[in-house]
Amino acid sequence: MLRKAVASILMLAAFAYMQPALAHAPGAKGAPPHGGCKVQVGDRVALYGTSDDPDVFIWDSRFRMRDYEGGSFDQMRALLPHATLAPAGTRATVEACVDNFVQSKYLSTPDDAVGVVVTSGPLRGKRGWVVGDAIRVIWSHH
Amino acid sequence: MWTAFLVIAVVIAVQGAFQTRASIAATFAAQSRIVRAQLALEEMRRLQIDEENAVRGFSLTHDPFYYTQYLGFVARFDGKLVEVRRALHAEGLVAGAGLLSDYAALQGSWRGKIAEPLLAHPGRDVTSIDKENKVFTDVEDRAVQSLRDMLAARSASLTRSTQEQVNRTAYARAFFVLLFGLLAILFNGFRGRLNRELEEERTTTEILQRAFRSETVPLPNCEVGSAYLAASSHLAVGGDVFDLYRLSDTLALLLIADVSGKGIDAAVLTAFIKFTIRGIALRRRDPGAILQEFNTAFSQTVENPYLFVSMFVGVLDTETLQLRYASAGHDSAFIRRSTNVQQLMVTGPVLGVMEEPFGSKVVFLEDGETVVLATDGLTEARNRQGRLLGEEGAKALIAASSAQPQLLADELLAQVRALGGNEMRDDLAVLAVRVHEAGSSDAS
Repeated sequence: MLRKAVASILMLAAFAYMQPALAHAPGAKGAPPHGGCKVQVGDRVALYGTSDDPDVFIWDSRFRMRDYEGGSFDQMRALLPHATLAPAGTRATVEACVDNFVQSKYLSTPDDAVGVVVTSGPLRGKRGWVVGDAIRVIWSHH
Repeated sequence: MWTAFLVIAVVIAVQGAFQTRASIAATFAAQSRIVRAQLALEEMRRLQIDEENAVRGFSLTHDPFYYTQYLGFVARFDGKLVEVRRALHAEGLVAGAGLLSDYAALQGSWRGKIAEPLLAHPGRDVTSIDKENKVFTDVEDRAVQSLRDMLAARSASLTRSTQEQVNRTAYARAFFVLLFGLLAILFNGFRGRLNRELEEERTTTEILQRAFRSETVPLPNCEVGSAYLAASSHLAVGGDVFDLYRLSDTLALLLIADVSGKGIDAAVLTAFIKFTIRGIALRRRDPGAILQEFNTAFSQTVENPYLFVSMFVGVLDTETLQLRYASAGHDSAFIRRSTNVQQLMVTGPVLGVMEEPFGSKVVFLEDGETVVLATDGLTEARNRQGRLLGEEGAKALIAASSAQPQLLADELLAQVRALGGNEMRDDLAVLAVRVHEAGSSDAS
């Protein structure tokens, strides 16, 4: 019981820690969501990459994520410690979205940076950023 | 000039068509290379994933089947790599070749850092290298996507080029068709006008010839036949003239002549010949003297130095059947006797060339013999192989023809026409006079 309460407090604390950062990020969308983002806060999503490897990187920083998308092979490898590989199909909930944040010469159009919390699998409870292209909405309350 | 212009235009059009064909064929070949490269690139991408799956399979099952499969995929990947590289070089896509090399180097690096350690230690936890594996996959994804874009752009460029070539060809063909059409219309108009003018001249010439040609007049003790056939070509309608003129109760003038040259000038000259000779013959009965006087008049009247006349003039006594004649270079004069055909000798040069006395000769005709006078359309007739009929041929034709003068004249014309395949190269006039002794049953 105590362990459960401590876990809840820690989750709330982590959420409280992330919320201001997400809210003050340029272009960040809190609730209510709006504008160009393809997903909205509260959406239940599945993570599924569009490259030949459908696993999805969850990043501890959307800036590192952007660097990864536009970097060279060596730069990408150097950033790996800041990423967690989520198996394709991992469920998550959208907590934030920055539209057109990820811009790269390798992308034909800019992509959104989406803040998520993982809700299934071994990474359940993990928070981080994924590219909008790797998000598939499975339920939306909007 | 028209023909040369048309020929040049046709040559340009044909050459342009061949050039366009070669150009379009080259574009299609390039497009075909691009399509093959696109297919080979997709095959490489599939083989890259197959390599990864084989490595995973071997790592999870330790089944050597997957190892063998992996080696096969590696060999095929490298084979496709050569194929794509060749196509990129052929199309001059240097940047694409660079991207392909990067892709190949990445795949080589993946084999060294991911695949081979796993193959060497198949029990190793796959998940431990998944992150790095994904980096390889993502970067290779980018390289392949860039190559796809590049090949697609090249293909689109070639398609546009083909379309432009087809458009240019269509415009060029439309231009040349228009040009040929206009030229054909102009040429047709020009030719039509020329034909009309020639037809008018021919009609005028024929009218003049009909007007000036003699109608046969009845002569005592004689049967007369004549025929005339114009040349097939309207350009060759010319100056044949014959005349049969009664000088007195017993004397008749026989005339046949051929004027050099064709057309209205020659036709008008035939009238001059006919009436001048008649006029002279009324005063002078010696054919040589008639020719000599005419020659003088001709030289003084006709200024064209290129015109000359071959002429046969005979004065036939219908009582004595004596024929006195003179021939100015006119060798188509014959007597058809009962046993043979005799050619009457030329007695002087053609008229209009030199002032020279013309001699006369006398021949005596027997009952039923025929004087056959023709123009050079007879002896110079040719068969379809171009072989000349000649004097002997003419004599043979005369010998083989009917005795009745009109039939003889008509048959000669028919024979000459048939000889040339119904084509007459030159005009042909024939005058035939068959004599009979006075008091004979055939004498008129």
